[in-house]
Amino acid sequence: MSQVFTIAGAELRLMLRSRLAIVGVATLLLLSAIAAVTSATQMAAAAKMRAEAQIATDQQFKSQPDRHPHRMVHYGTYALRPVGPLAAFDPGVDAFTGTVVFLEGHRQNSATFGAARESSDLVRFGQLTPAFVLQTLAPLLLVFLGFASVARERERGSLRALAAHGATAWAILSGKALALCAAAALAMAPAFAALGWAAIQQPAEAGIALLTALSYSGYLLIWVLVITAVSALAASAQGALVTLIAIWAVVVVLVPRAAAAWAGVAEPLPSRVDTEFAIAADLRRIGDSHNPNDPHFAEFKAKLLQKYGVGKVEDLPFNYRGVLAQEGERLTSQLFKDYAARAGAIQLAQSDRLTALGLISPALAVRRASMVGAATDLRTHLAFLETAEAYRYNMVQKLNALQATAVSGADDSARSKDPIAERRTRISADFWKEVPDFRFDAPTASRRAAGMIPSLAVLALWIALALALMMIASRRLERNGA
Amino acid sequence: MTHPVLSIDQLVVERGGRRIVDGLSLTLEAGEIYALLGGNGAGKSTTLFAILGFLERSGGTLTVGGQDPAGQLDAVRAQIAYLPENVALYDHLTARENVDYLLKVADCPRSRADVEAAFGSVGLAANAWDMRAGRFSKGMRQKTAIALAMLRDTPLLLLDEPTSGLDPAAAADFHKLLETLAARGVAVLMVTHDLLGAADTADRIGLIAGGRIASEWFAQPGEPRFDLNALHSGFARVR
Amino acid sequence: MTHILREMWLLGRSRSAIWALLLLAVCASASVALGLASVARDRAVIDRMLAGQVAEEAALAAFVEDAGSGAYYGFQPTWDPPSDLAFAALGSRDIAPAVLRVRALALEGQIYENESSNPELALPGRFDLAFVAVYVAPLVLIALLHDLWSGEREAGRYHALAALPRARRRLWTSRVAVRLAGVLVALLLPFGIGALMAGTAPLRALGFAGLITLVCLLWTAIVLVVARLGVRSAVNAASLAAVWFALTLVAPAGVNLAINAGVPVPDGAALARENREYVHAGWDRPRDRTMRDFLKVYPQHEAGSAIPPTFHWKWYFAFQHLGDLHVAEQSQAYRDGIARRAEMGRIAGWVLPPAGLAQAMSAMAGTDVTAQLDYQMRIRAYHQRLREFYYDYLFSEKPFGPQELARVPRFDPAIGG
Repeated sequence: MSQVFTIAGAELRLMLRSRLAIVGVATLLLLSAIAAVTSATQMAAAAKMRAEAQIATDQQFKSQPDRHPHRMVHYGTYALRPVGPLAAFDPGVDAFTGTVVFLEGHRQNSATFGAARESSDLVRFGQLTPAFVLQTLAPLLLVFLGFASVARERERGSLRALAAHGATAWAILSGKALALCAAAALAMAPAFAALGWAAIQQPAEAGIALLTALSYSGYLLIWVLVITAVSALAASAQGALVTLIAIWAVVVVLVPRAAAAWAGVAEPLPSRVDTEFAIAADLRRIGDSHNPNDPHFAEFKAKLLQKYGVGKVEDLPFNYRGVLAQEGERLTSQLFKDYAARAGAIQLAQSDRLTALGLISPALAVRRASMVGAATDLRTHLAFLETAEAYRYNMVQKLNALQATAVSGADDSARSKDPIAERRTRISADFWKEVPDFRFDAPTASRRAAGMIPSLAVLALWIALALALMMIASRRLERNGA
Repeated sequence: MTHPVLSIDQLVVERGGRRIVDGLSLTLEAGEIYALLGGNGAGKSTTLFAILGFLERSGGTLTVGGQDPAGQLDAVRAQIAYLPENVALYDHLTARENVDYLLKVADCPRSRADVEAAFGSVGLAANAWDMRAGRFSKGMRQKTAIALAMLRDTPLLLLDEPTSGLDPAAAADFHKLLETLAARGVAVLMVTHDLLGAADTADRIGLIAGGRIASEWFAQPGEPRFDLNALHSGFARVR
Repeated sequence: MTHILREMWLLGRSRSAIWALLLLAVCASASVALGLASVARDRAVIDRMLAGQVAEEAALAAFVEDAGSGAYYGFQPTWDPPSDLAFAALGSRDIAPAVLRVRALALEGQIYENESSNPELALPGRFDLAFVAVYVAPLVLIALLHDLWSGEREAGRYHALAALPRARRRLWTSRVAVRLAGVLVALLLPFGIGALMAGTAPLRALGFAGLITLVCLLWTAIVLVVARLGVRSAVNAASLAAVWFALTLVAPAGVNLAINAGVPVPDGAALARENREYVHAGWDRPRDRTMRDFLKVYPQHEAGSAIPPTFHWKWYFAFQHLGDLHVAEQSQAYRDGIARRAEMGRIAGWVLPPAGLAQAMSAMAGTDVTAQLDYQMRIRAYHQRLREFYYDYLFSEKPFGPQELARVPRFDPAIGG
């Protein structure tokens, strides 16, 4: 074991004396620090802005004047997706989804206003965030620091000298890997500090932060092992470098993009308009409130009249229009829910393909683990949309119920002709205060932890593979006498 | 008017502000073998590089077949075949492919039969012709390179430490080859440490010291061709 | 020519070079195929929308009773057809909608709608030919050329090769030319096939091919400078990878950060909310004030502007439009902010040539932010035409039925309005 430390120590000393290594590490630390600070300030600003906007929009709803409840259905409200607890560390898809949904009756709007659509054409792969630094930049720095670790010794013939002094191949490789691990730990420091800071501020997130740190440590460990093994297997330092840069480009840049494009083609998602048309067609089939002869609504009316033992809707003990609106909303909402579930399932299937491709690229696996942990992944966004839709439905139905109970049917039917009746249909503004505020909580820490498991398993598999590669390298080194 | 193959007069070459070659003069006629001896850093390789035009001279004259590398670099290089100390070939190509490729680069393609004849005359075993150069010994590389030089059919052959690392038998074979080439009229300038080898083959031996030819010996008819004792003491003196 | 053929042969004998070029060709082909698939999907979405519109209008025709209900229920499709080069540079078409249905209500509440898409697929960026040319091809050029001289030197062949007559022209130039040509063929052949399949206008295809060539020439120049100056191959490769990394990944990310911090874009959500407030306050605002304000913009409708004390569509659509006018300045500022960011990005492109060329590609393909803003302007122009069509009916109180529904102006993707 002492051999390993001795070799690691010598390698570290060499790194400390190499200008290239020092400049590389310093650059990464600087980038990492910039990323941590800017990302934290940006996300804090976004979180503040959205929280304030949510309060403002809830306030606006509550302070509306006396109105006909149906007008409030169209006035609607906004749901803003709160910033995820660890979004400063990994903003994930935050920029690529809308963050605001307008909630109104009869319609399901999309989430609008995302940062990606408000940016220049300069970058389309990610902002400078701690997660990006760890996923993309850190491995390349490790490649630069470690590609020559074994190959250099072989080219200089000092590998044989080491072997002659009784160092086993495994000890040499472990020592080199250990030194690279130390460099990796240093490279991760600012990003982990950002993670730690977030955990201190939100103690509930400490477990997730730890798990996220573990994923990244595992990811960089894979790189350390692969770099050391390739350095030992390659014929020359140059060959090792070119091979490692190629591996980096494929794993970190090429596969994630190609995988995303492939998943999109393999699991086509219907467009919004497709869904709108499908829902409209379904509504025309199952119940069209515009059509006076629509069988569904005719039956609905007949049942209602029968239940209350009356002959016409005007004799019902409540405002029929409100009940009709409730039934209409019930039908459309059910369709919204069904189609959203279908679209959500397709998107999750697309993302599952990406998880599966983590078997080719550990970068995909660690990205997924990180986003799931930070609650900035697709599933969280879908949960937000689902919560917003449920909130919309409850709000609209509450307002429809008010129309049924607090607005007289006679006034309601006369309001477009009779201004006096119209005045009477405006109910007290106090009713709006009964509508609860919108609230979305990110999935609980334990649920997110469970969601990270598949990615962590993929990373564990990769560590095993990388270890196997290092063992192969070690055996070859042993056999060929360095 | 015919020119000597190589004519150097009062050559000065500086490297990094230091005069490595300083007043070297040397003339080489067709069919002559000249061995340039000297200690490390005496200016032997620098002289070769100046002839090849890799280094610019800062004084004196230098012509190859009457042409000056300073002005007619390509015309000069077209007359020279050069074997560096460690002949390196493309390891992933066979001997034949290496020779074909390099001949094409030099713009003097040769037929398959010519190449095989050259391989035969340098003594490269037939089973090596289509073997990858990565598996060649130093002697085999040397032979391939000489075959290439023969095929180039240039009037001047420059050799940098050709026998270093060759076993004595291979070195002897190599010297025979040089004699064959010289007999065909090729002028050979070789830079070497190998005093005995030089004495075996060369028509003239020059001892370089302080950047110029310090002493020169001419081969005598009969054996031994040179006074080995004089050579030894001369060599020891400059070192 | 013989020199070129000879160097081609030598390149062909290098297994790693062939692998690198093959990988590039596979990437380029895959990117073109995926690009064509993506464009076909956009086209299919547009076609399905236009086909589905027929059923929607038939359904509307069954219950439309006046211009107001026609305008209120009648969504009209607008679309941004992919250009003949979009397959090669998909730009931001994945995050901006290709289709949007609008109606004559306040536009600010409609125009920012997003397409439903999986953000996790948008996150890593598009896998299109522009990406392969700007990100992957340089790496292949680096792999092929970084040791052009140092490799021969390290192998001990350098002097023997350099001693050959006319080595510069015969050897190095043809070697560089062959390798660069290999990369260009790997990129341009799939592009050419894609362009033929997409029916790209020859001049535009040529222009795009020119941009790809420019990217490759730029990187060849960078690689050759480093290869010439550097002594050791490994150092050359490391320096070049670092240059690539800085130019294509780190610097654009940093510049983007700076642009977003330096050029604020007004909060879009606040703008939409403000629009809603103004529109809905319209119900409670004195009606004559609403009409007066509206007639300031549309004095030609003065004659028919009388409204009853009860609900009338004239009044309803008047305050809808006033809602848009109320936030027109904010909306302009929002667009200006984005346009300014795009402009700054283009300026940064002059300093960061790879990013500049990538932007030039998506600009040529009409898939950049500017093209998205342009589509929004076309939607705005069309929306105006649509509104004004209905205003004519509303204010003249002309009857409006299914026949008139067929006369509703249609969106023209080229000009919008």
